[in-house]
Amino acid sequence: MAKPKIAFFDFAGCEGDQLQIANLEERLLDILGHVEVVSFREVATGHSDDYDVAFVEGSITRPEDEIRLKEIRKNAKVLVALGACAAIGGINCLKNFLAENVYREEVYGGQARWFSTYAARPLKSVVKVDAEIPGCPIDPTEFARITKELLLGRSPWIPDFPVCVECKQAGNVCRYEMGRMCLGIITRAGCKAACVSQGAHCWGCRGLVPGANLDAARIVMDRPGTSRKAIQDLLRFFLGDTGAAL
Amino acid sequence: MTTYTVYKEQLPGLFEKWSESYALYVPAKLREGFYDLVPWKRDLEIAWDFDVAYNSPKRFLFPPREALITFNRKTCEAEPVFEAPPQILFGVHPYDVKAINQLDQLLETGSPDQNYVRRRAATVVMGYEPLTVSPTAFWASVGAASAAHGYDLYWTKIGPAAFTVEVGSARGEELLSMCGPLVPSTAGDKEGARRAKARVLFKARHNGLRYNWEETPRLLSKSWDSPLWRRYSQMCLACGSCNLVCPTCYCFDIREEADDQLEEGVRYREWDGCMLESFAKVAGNHNFRPKAQDRYRHRYFRKGKYIYDKIGELGCVGCGRCVRACTAGIANPLKVFNELWEETAHEH
Repeated sequence: MAKPKIAFFDFAGCEGDQLQIANLEERLLDILGHVEVVSFREVATGHSDDYDVAFVEGSITRPEDEIRLKEIRKNAKVLVALGACAAIGGINCLKNFLAENVYREEVYGGQARWFSTYAARPLKSVVKVDAEIPGCPIDPTEFARITKELLLGRSPWIPDFPVCVECKQAGNVCRYEMGRMCLGIITRAGCKAACVSQGAHCWGCRGLVPGANLDAARIVMDRPGTSRKAIQDLLRFFLGDTGAAL
Repeated sequence: MTTYTVYKEQLPGLFEKWSESYALYVPAKLREGFYDLVPWKRDLEIAWDFDVAYNSPKRFLFPPREALITFNRKTCEAEPVFEAPPQILFGVHPYDVKAINQLDQLLETGSPDQNYVRRRAATVVMGYEPLTVSPTAFWASVGAASAAHGYDLYWTKIGPAAFTVEVGSARGEELLSMCGPLVPSTAGDKEGARRAKARVLFKARHNGLRYNWEETPRLLSKSWDSPLWRRYSQMCLACGSCNLVCPTCYCFDIREEADDQLEEGVRYREWDGCMLESFAKVAGNHNFRPKAQDRYRHRYFRKGKYIYDKIGELGCVGCGRCVRACTAGIANPLKVFNELWEETAHEH
């Protein structure tokens, strides 16, 4: 059987997810040994429009992005959203809470009218997405696992439970017991509770867990000593395109 | 069984000796108000007055993630994976010893869980009488204030620098005698231990069931349709924290991952929990407990009835960890059982 051809693409984002893949180093050689990479501009030169699997990073922020993404969708048998920007819109969606003239002025200053832009959105708002590897940045081991699952013809699995599960597995002291805020209660796991284990709190970069109880989460977060502005800021940080952000 | 008196100054020598052939875990303060069993090292200050270990001891016997088999995709051959590092858990409160006893019964019966059984056999449990009681604990009212067995040694602090040590196994006695001859406890020392136990039991009575815990299964049989389940579960985040911190919850999920050559692979298990939305999802995407209410009720029935029906004890040892861990404030066996008792008051 011929090796499946894979290609990487990016829209609005920092290409940090592709960097995470490059960071797999020796492992990358083994994994990429099973495929033919036809396009991966962060790592290699050359490009072809003949591919089976498209890994797409970044969010859609301009009308013309849609045309390019639909073209990729047409060429690819499997389209995988790579990272928070592609999967859930991510921090690009922060601008959606500002008036268009405000963010255009902020970003482009006097040249604002030279550029086209519209509300940021995830790939799934424009095309059908077959699999997601969420996170900001992605966890390279999850990329490796999902790629292998696709190669083996299995349906790619990402955790469907909140970060709390991995946090408890790690044995961390709960941020809420320390009087702090945390989005682990509504965020999809898969990061091994990386931020909490390092002393921070969950920012929600992997998107909402399916069935997230947002009403309950708002009550839990709204505690004495926590400002509602801080809650709103945290909910908008990565989750701007979801029902969590108000 | 024999009881010996051991002095604090003997401990560094014993710990040193034990740690040569065992991974030794002792109670220590993580931060103000938070304690846990942590790897022992010289000069580590032991938190003798810890109220509860933040993480339950089950993680030493049933780790959050554990390989079960390795397999070869080409030859279809598989090998079991067993890991059972020798370890000593020093400072396990009686309710946690009871929880371990319960896991022993449930995992060693029927088709024994080989991974668990081997880890358990390599684990020395040193029980320790608590000096303080966690604000959310209610172990004294669910029959978990003392453990009849399940420990190799049982330590009771009877003074600033003295302990009585009750021997629970030959292995325990051997470990205790590694640094010289042992002194059997005098009647006075044993009386000291009895008083220490009475003191902590008195403290533990601040919080408790309003009825005999043996009534719980009968109480639940009458409460299947209680409005309580819906009322509390509306706040449920389905985060599984109550399951994962529970010293007696042992459900797991099994997954596989191939290596990067796609030739070999490993099958492993990870902690799972019945409060998670997909826990009861089966083939065809059917979920037989799709609503938070169903899952929430299931957990209390599991703790208060189903386990009792199997082994004659509650599945809850009253450690109060789930009460602390639940950010939504709804995981609380004490409150739930007491409220159900009130609800059905006209019937008893």
